[in-house]
Amino acid sequence: MKKYAKDYTIEELMATVVSREMRSARNGFIGTGTGGRTYTLAVGIPLAGMSLARMTSNPDLSILFSYKVNPVIEEMPSPDSLTSPYELMNWRCEANLAYDAIFLMAMRGEIDTGFGSAAQIDRFGNANIVAIGDYRKPKVRLIGPIFQTEHFALFGREILLMDHERRNFVERVDFVSGVGYLEGGDSRRRAGLKRGGPDKIITNLAVLDFDEKTRGVRVLSLHPGVEASEVQKNTGFELVIPRGVPETEPPSVDEVELLRTKVDPRRIMLGTS
Amino acid sequence: MRRMMEKITTLEKAAKLVESGNSIAIGGFTVYRKPMAFVRELLRTDVRDLNVLGWTSGIDVDMLAGAGRLRRVELSYVGLDFLGLAPSYRRAVESGELQVIEYTELTSAMRFKVGAMGMNFFPAKSLFGSDLLRHNPDVREIKCPFTGEVFHAVPAARPDVTVLHAPMADVYGNVVYLPSSNRNIEWDIPMAECAKKVVVTVEKIVEYDYMLSNPLLTKIPRFKVDAVVEVPYGAHPTDHDSYYKVDKDHLRAYAEASRKPETFKQYLDEYVYGVKDHWEYMNKVGGIKRMVELRPAEE
Repeated sequence: MKKYAKDYTIEELMATVVSREMRSARNGFIGTGTGGRTYTLAVGIPLAGMSLARMTSNPDLSILFSYKVNPVIEEMPSPDSLTSPYELMNWRCEANLAYDAIFLMAMRGEIDTGFGSAAQIDRFGNANIVAIGDYRKPKVRLIGPIFQTEHFALFGREILLMDHERRNFVERVDFVSGVGYLEGGDSRRRAGLKRGGPDKIITNLAVLDFDEKTRGVRVLSLHPGVEASEVQKNTGFELVIPRGVPETEPPSVDEVELLRTKVDPRRIMLGTS
Repeated sequence: MRRMMEKITTLEKAAKLVESGNSIAIGGFTVYRKPMAFVRELLRTDVRDLNVLGWTSGIDVDMLAGAGRLRRVELSYVGLDFLGLAPSYRRAVESGELQVIEYTELTSAMRFKVGAMGMNFFPAKSLFGSDLLRHNPDVREIKCPFTGEVFHAVPAARPDVTVLHAPMADVYGNVVYLPSSNRNIEWDIPMAECAKKVVVTVEKIVEYDYMLSNPLLTKIPRFKVDAVVEVPYGAHPTDHDSYYKVDKDHLRAYAEASRKPETFKQYLDEYVYGVKDHWEYMNKVGGIKRMVELRPAEE
């Protein structure tokens, strides 16, 4: 029988959720250029989670870290050198693909799963990284859509990693840069998107998915010790909370051991909390 | 007898190729391999009302926006990479003075590729349902003549001037990128191919014979290039692959200065307007000692 760990960080739990999500995936794409907390959410946790999947359930998984295919995780350069393209290039991996090869893969529909984060996400899984407030005269101009629009339109599915706060989980995003289920129901399909879209949102409180009919954000599982009311309190719209929501499966003793000794012994990806 | 035309020139003369109202494309990626010495030289001219056609822009656009030289940008990202948002750009957009035409990473890059193909547009499959369609007046709906499927036509990019920073070139304008150059050089090349004029700054001018011996390394041939300038450390404070890492201390100081118009102006006065040329700039940012510190770890 599986022995569950008692002592683990929230980032380790989130990485384990990623690993289980990738049990039967062909590949998963992670972008690069971000810093601080967004780095941990959009890069660190998915990279650690996918590496765990490769070591346990899915050795055939291809990790697409920008243009790098399956970089040797034990040889990850320090976070400091990740801002050196030269050191990133020299990090051993199966392939340093041509940059446009990733774009062409996306266009052919060959990217299975994408990982990302967002400044805002709404009731129907639409995401925003362009502007907060009125677009014409924004309160905050953000970075711009970059690859998010492609993640949500061309990939098989998108998994978002978010800090669970009211200001991130809003009734309606101020700008749709990642197209989720728009106004709900079949509006995504009617807009011209036949596949893909947001599939899961992994937060520090819960794992969320989408109601099959309304396409509203639904609580799939609550992290150990978290009440549904706490998740609702930190969400700026009404969640779908089914009766008897299960607890998120905690990491096993072996998974925590692998994360700490093999995947991320220097705590680059999973932070120091 | 006539000789092959030399394209080698000075930063000062190369900067004059850009005129007010031009569209310009700037190579590199966010805070990596940006032709910053050229951008600083451009700021020393009185050029204005520029339209930046970009892909993933960073400190280059932040500086030009903060100095009030931009009318419009067409791109997918402006930020300082690991340092977050680009403060001067933010201010220019939030005040409504700078117009942004939004593209995605894929479509903004493919605009250069179709420009390089001599084609008019790129058929995008990724824009359905997004607010980019509501706010970008240049994208049109089209139908596939074979299947009737609907796509979005994204117009090709044809910049008046493209500016790049590369490892090496000869005096005739043959430009070398190295195998160790980051994979994002893939977009420097179509950016040059689709442009009306091309300016390339390089770490080092090499002999014509270098090209003859290493022809696989020539990524942009001289007939596409109008001006070449030898500018060692010309990407500082951004990174240049095997040559030097991003100058984090300088970039952090820049990001801090960029947060307020007054401190941003002080930065420009000190590092752009207040220095005569690139050599004076180099001394100001720490000279050879600093550049040695910025060498990446050897493999």
